[in-house]
Amino acid sequence: MDKKECIVLKDATLGYKKTNASISILKHLNLTFYCGDFVGVVGVNGVGKSTLLKSLCGLLPVLEGEIFIDQQHISKLLLNELAKKIAIVLTEKIGGFNLTAYDAVAAGQMPYTNSFNRLEKENQLIIDEAIKTCGITAHQYKLLNELSDGLFQKTIIAKALAQQTPIMLLDEPSAFLDYASKHDLFILLKKLADEENKCVLASSHDLDLLLKYCNKLLVISNTSIELIPVSEAKTNKVFLEIGGGFI
Amino acid sequence: MEKNTTIKFLILICLLIVACFLSLFFGGSEHINFGELSSNNFIFWHIRFPKTITAIIAGCTLSVSGLILQIIFRNPLAGPFVLGISSGASLMVAISILAGSALHLFSVFFIGKAFIVLSAITGSLLITFLILGISKKVNSNVVLLLIGLMLSQICGAVQTALEYFSDANSLKSFVIWGMGSLANTTNFDLLIYLPIALISLLALLFFVKPLNALLLGENYAQNVGINFKSSRFYLILISSLLTGLTTAFCGPIAFIGTAVPILSRMVFKSSKQQLHVSSCLLIGSIILLLSDALANSAISNISLPINMITTFIGAPLVIYLMFKNKTW
Repeated sequence: MDKKECIVLKDATLGYKKTNASISILKHLNLTFYCGDFVGVVGVNGVGKSTLLKSLCGLLPVLEGEIFIDQQHISKLLLNELAKKIAIVLTEKIGGFNLTAYDAVAAGQMPYTNSFNRLEKENQLIIDEAIKTCGITAHQYKLLNELSDGLFQKTIIAKALAQQTPIMLLDEPSAFLDYASKHDLFILLKKLADEENKCVLASSHDLDLLLKYCNKLLVISNTSIELIPVSEAKTNKVFLEIGGGFI
Repeated sequence: MEKNTTIKFLILICLLIVACFLSLFFGGSEHINFGELSSNNFIFWHIRFPKTITAIIAGCTLSVSGLILQIIFRNPLAGPFVLGISSGASLMVAISILAGSALHLFSVFFIGKAFIVLSAITGSLLITFLILGISKKVNSNVVLLLIGLMLSQICGAVQTALEYFSDANSLKSFVIWGMGSLANTTNFDLLIYLPIALISLLALLFFVKPLNALLLGENYAQNVGINFKSSRFYLILISSLLTGLTTAFCGPIAFIGTAVPILSRMVFKSSKQQLHVSSCLLIGSIILLLSDALANSAISNISLPINMITTFIGAPLVIYLMFKNKTW
């Protein structure tokens, strides 16, 4: 498979913008992620994993430097175009207002619907497919705020799938899942990277899962950030440190 | 699902027709018989007719405004009245009535009305943006409601102070307006009221997608391609326009904006906001028309304040929802 550049960071500094100051969390990053990469993002709490993922899909500003998505400058992409390139799974909860699991997954098709958000036959097929893939068919008409944490997580992952993007960013997608579902999820993500040539970035604290299924690791510490093949993980000092001697 | 929705809408339309009839023929101290109705019946054409139309417009505008606010704040209890937006509009109207009478603006009828409408809209915009600023600092829906109530108390206090220093004429006109009434709108007023309300409501057609996406929160809305900040800005503009407009013509009317969207979500178990906008239009009109008929016929020869009736409908619903939904 060809190794097309999916995400390129050039000397990018990422962080938050407050009213009178910007707080940089990750400084001067130079990274390239390719299509077909399944990258595990590791680092201790608060090191900037979520900041990185949010910046890559335009939810946080690029403070300095540049980010290219699919060879295009991120700030030049229209929101709707960006939505067709990157799907994100965050840790935040949504629900209420009669929103069902189906509605949340259907939101993934929003970049493709008309201005009245009408779901055509082909939209519905994609939504149903995503629901089936994530194994929430039996729960699709339940209210979002009545789902268990694990089912909610699967629903949002289904939403990201329904978005049909070449890039998927997942912030701690395995956090609330049971043991088997964790493995199912990582197998699915690996399949998406391998077979559909997607670029998948998933942050997680389940290091053994990352070691088992990812092909690359992005190891973030307060002082360094490096992208390594998973085979080098066990010799990487920072990764072993994050593992706290239990790897 | 589809068939059920259609049936429910048909029932609502029937209810609307009945409510119109009740408000037209029983909405006052004099009961009009359908048979006696002639084209020159003064009470019917110059008092009842504008009042019924006003009830419909006010019901539509307030409930849709409330629906928009609930979506923007992702708070099922929000509404123009509980967030203090109606009070902000009232305060601005109080200021403008007092200033207007000092400047003799009201001698020219049209300018006076336009002045009041503009100041009410300004007042509701100011409070909405203030609440929006505050909502970024607080995470709890209930705290936001409490802040809204406090804002409304502050507006009320300033208003009382203004009333204390005002002359008898403007005080009277203001106090009557402030009680909230559907009966002060003339047929001529409707020529201003109706078109602006219609245009603001039709503007929502451009925001079907944002209304649905905003429910997902800022991050997910943005990630599915919706410009969160700009849609929110325009929706606030529309909502403030709707609230300000109705407050200018009818005074502050309690709880319709909060209660109707809640009822709509109870009747239609859907999350499609385009559906809720249409059902809010219907339910809002029905409730305000029935409240009007009830206010005028509950006790013979006495016309109760409309706010009393709407509060009796709205406040228990809010309390019920607080009990039912332990987590938002």
